[in-house]
Amino acid sequence: MREAPEALELAARAVAAAEGDEVDALAHRERSGLARFAASVVHQPTLVEDASVTIRVVRDGKIGAVSTNRVDDEGLREAARRAGEAAASGRPDPAFPGLAPPSPLPEVEGWDEETDALDPGAIAAHAWTAIEAAEGLGLYGYFTSGVTELAVASSTGVAVSQALTDATVLALAADETRSGYAEATSWRVGELDPAAAAREAASIAARTDGAGELEPGTYRALLSPYAFAELLLYFGYSSLGALALLEGRSFLAGRIGEKVFDERLSLADDGHDPRGLPKAFDLEGVPKQRVQLVEAGALRDVVWDRRTAHRDGRVSTGHGLDAASQAYGPLPFNLSVAPGEATDEELAELVGDGIYVTRLHYVNIVDAREGILTGMTRDGTFRVEGGRVSRPLVNLRFTTSVPELLAHLPGIGAEARLVNASDFYDARYPFGSLVPPVATERFTIVAAGSAPGL
Amino acid sequence: MRDLCRNAVDDALAGGASYADARAHERRSQTVRTKAREVDSVADSETEGIGVRVLVGGAWGFASSPNLSPAGAREAASRAVEFARASSSRAGARARRTELAPTPPARGEYRTPAGRDPVDVPLENKIELCLRAEEALERPGLALTSAFVRAQRERRGFASSEGADALQELCECGGGIEALALGDDGGVQTRSYPSAHGGSSAQAGWEYVEELGLEREAPRIAEEALALLRAEPCPAGVTTIVLDSDQTGLQVHESVGHPTELDRIYGTEAAYAGTSWVRAEDLGSLRYGSELMNITADATTPGGLGTFAWDDEGVPAAREPVVERGILAGFLTSRETAARLGRGAGGSMRADGWNRMPLVRMTNLHLEPGAGSLEELLAEVDDGIFMSTNKSWSIDDKRLNFQFGTEIAWEIKGGTLGRMLRDATYTGTTPVFWGSLDGVAGPEEWRLTGLTNCGKGQPGQHAHVSHGASPARFRNVQVGVRS
Repeated sequence: MREAPEALELAARAVAAAEGDEVDALAHRERSGLARFAASVVHQPTLVEDASVTIRVVRDGKIGAVSTNRVDDEGLREAARRAGEAAASGRPDPAFPGLAPPSPLPEVEGWDEETDALDPGAIAAHAWTAIEAAEGLGLYGYFTSGVTELAVASSTGVAVSQALTDATVLALAADETRSGYAEATSWRVGELDPAAAAREAASIAARTDGAGELEPGTYRALLSPYAFAELLLYFGYSSLGALALLEGRSFLAGRIGEKVFDERLSLADDGHDPRGLPKAFDLEGVPKQRVQLVEAGALRDVVWDRRTAHRDGRVSTGHGLDAASQAYGPLPFNLSVAPGEATDEELAELVGDGIYVTRLHYVNIVDAREGILTGMTRDGTFRVEGGRVSRPLVNLRFTTSVPELLAHLPGIGAEARLVNASDFYDARYPFGSLVPPVATERFTIVAAGSAPGL
Repeated sequence: MRDLCRNAVDDALAGGASYADARAHERRSQTVRTKAREVDSVADSETEGIGVRVLVGGAWGFASSPNLSPAGAREAASRAVEFARASSSRAGARARRTELAPTPPARGEYRTPAGRDPVDVPLENKIELCLRAEEALERPGLALTSAFVRAQRERRGFASSEGADALQELCECGGGIEALALGDDGGVQTRSYPSAHGGSSAQAGWEYVEELGLEREAPRIAEEALALLRAEPCPAGVTTIVLDSDQTGLQVHESVGHPTELDRIYGTEAAYAGTSWVRAEDLGSLRYGSELMNITADATTPGGLGTFAWDDEGVPAAREPVVERGILAGFLTSRETAARLGRGAGGSMRADGWNRMPLVRMTNLHLEPGAGSLEELLAEVDDGIFMSTNKSWSIDDKRLNFQFGTEIAWEIKGGTLGRMLRDATYTGTTPVFWGSLDGVAGPEEWRLTGLTNCGKGQPGQHAHVSHGASPARFRNVQVGVRS
């Protein structure tokens, strides 16, 4: 694992600047570039550099947290002083278990020298490689790479750090009547082929002209890894974290141990897997554990942070957020579906008569307790007829129950793909899901939308 | 701060830029949240830095530095030029020549008119306010209650190679409460006030939070959350709906605001947020909705989260029609998109901080009021549904097909509200839906709601936006969509 000594030194200086019964600091350093393109021209190229630290002070069971990117000694002293004031202003938190003790970290990968070394010229060049491969269609999307350094230090002896690299190419090939989508993500830029992503998007787009409508109803469906990953991500946000479980908002509340999904489905959160975007520890400095969430269709567990684990007599699984974001509770950032054995062609045969969905858009939670999501399909929706992907369809609105979808999976693809899950809001924290395509018997379409294309 | 911006612009020009602007930001934010009558979090954050945007050979470049010093400004300028040069290197004849609509150089200072600086209010007072509100929420049978308040103060310096040299100091604050009820059957119901998904905020002093009346409204919210557990689900069918001002504002946001952003119309957001069902050539002729539909973009609205003296390109704030009597009358624009359209001057460019490029964003977008009270609006509904407080929202990439859900609803029978309904949803197609608008309540019902979670751009950016609206009535709407 690549450590991040400068981030760790920053975290340690922040801890030293603060006074309290307990103190910890999360340091975050980012150097990234994103060459965004539209209509085959790079139009919004953005370079970001930042270093920030979140100081958490505990006094008499009361907690205050302050974040700053003024990381010189004066800035840290001021932030530490304000964190102390924030703690003094508060009330004792009975759910707070104290700061994490030091624990051995898992050995994970996730940093790549070549990716770390990409300069603005190289980032732009990768974007242009994708653009030039789009075969007559306009290309929209981006190429991005970055290096993120995380470190946690504490008065309880935690001193951990990790450097992470990530790179993503996102390609939407489109004209007025056609659109197709593809993406690729890795922590090793050498594993990315921007031209291949552009060609994949263009190949899908080329088949979307003349899209037809579809009557609302519940259909059998073949979901691409992009589509399936997005459904799982929203289901994960609403149901696979311990806070939602403890507060009764999760679909899993009262159902742990029950076999409610198809026995072909096994789902884990695995920050150790080198095929994903590995992380050794969470934002509380707790080592990340692999958590089996669903095993052969049975609900096994959710992910935990220190606070929720303390409430339920458990141990944190290393899924805590930073001190300022604890209201969200722990979240799964490394979802991983165990691959099946089916090829794409076999999945289409298993669907028989249904639809193929490349990508989803604007997914939102209708009913978290029931796992009902709504959203649109886009950039490559097709009819599946006679066991083959056939004619194009317009974009479709779905309002569907994820638990019902997962309860009926006649086939799971043999090849899992890493799907980027970060839209790079705020400070960079790369994460993604390892997901194969799936065939489901139940995907509910409630309306037809607009045609593919711009 | 202004000196740094001017220096960065000079450095960029010396490096070969034909145009440059620089923004330096210092932002301080606080959030206090209580939950289950305990302090859940007390968070305080600050961030500062400078972002430099340049045009080199007709291509944009942007780079940022957290270092608010001459060295940081110089480095950001140099890297922005480097990235622009690299990005344009293969553009050749494909690139559209970038032109900017003319604007007078932004010069001067602006400060949010505010009473008490919300950041300076002691944290103890903020915690007390939240705990009092939660105490007022407390009811047997409620599974969880929460309250939160937020405060933010920001200084923004701006300079450009066209002579802009301005400083703005903006402050905003807000808050909200939430009650969660769990039924014996596993059902979950939530009620929020004054709005869901982050309460409501305004550019104002702390008096705004005090006037929200979180403690005052808490008993009603708590009772409604419990009552929802016993309520019947919203039936499916086609009917008349009346939306409260909060949900009407979100409807404006999603189905009018985003599709009239001219960058989306020109395709530059296609890969993420999407495009638009509206075309540039539709201006002045497209029937967007009924004669009662009047939408205004107003960056001068007192208290609006999108209020400023100049946007992040230095264009002065303005109040402009977007839809007049149902006809498309304007777009939300940047200087670049306005020049391409050959009309307008921009004025809607906003950046989420120092390390993001400005994008075309909503400022404050309002449905202008009609006449009469909510009761009068309801009185003309023989059979329908009144929906309040957004619960879920989704709309397609062209902003045409949407589905929204609200936390609470009531049936309307014979012109008055009847029984409560849970899990209400409605769906539609933008011009058909707005075409069915046949009533907007008057100015006395008009409310301004500020939201802080509008996402757009790659890398992602949040925008803070306000919407003013009165309750509005729509006919022949599909409701009760479930899986």
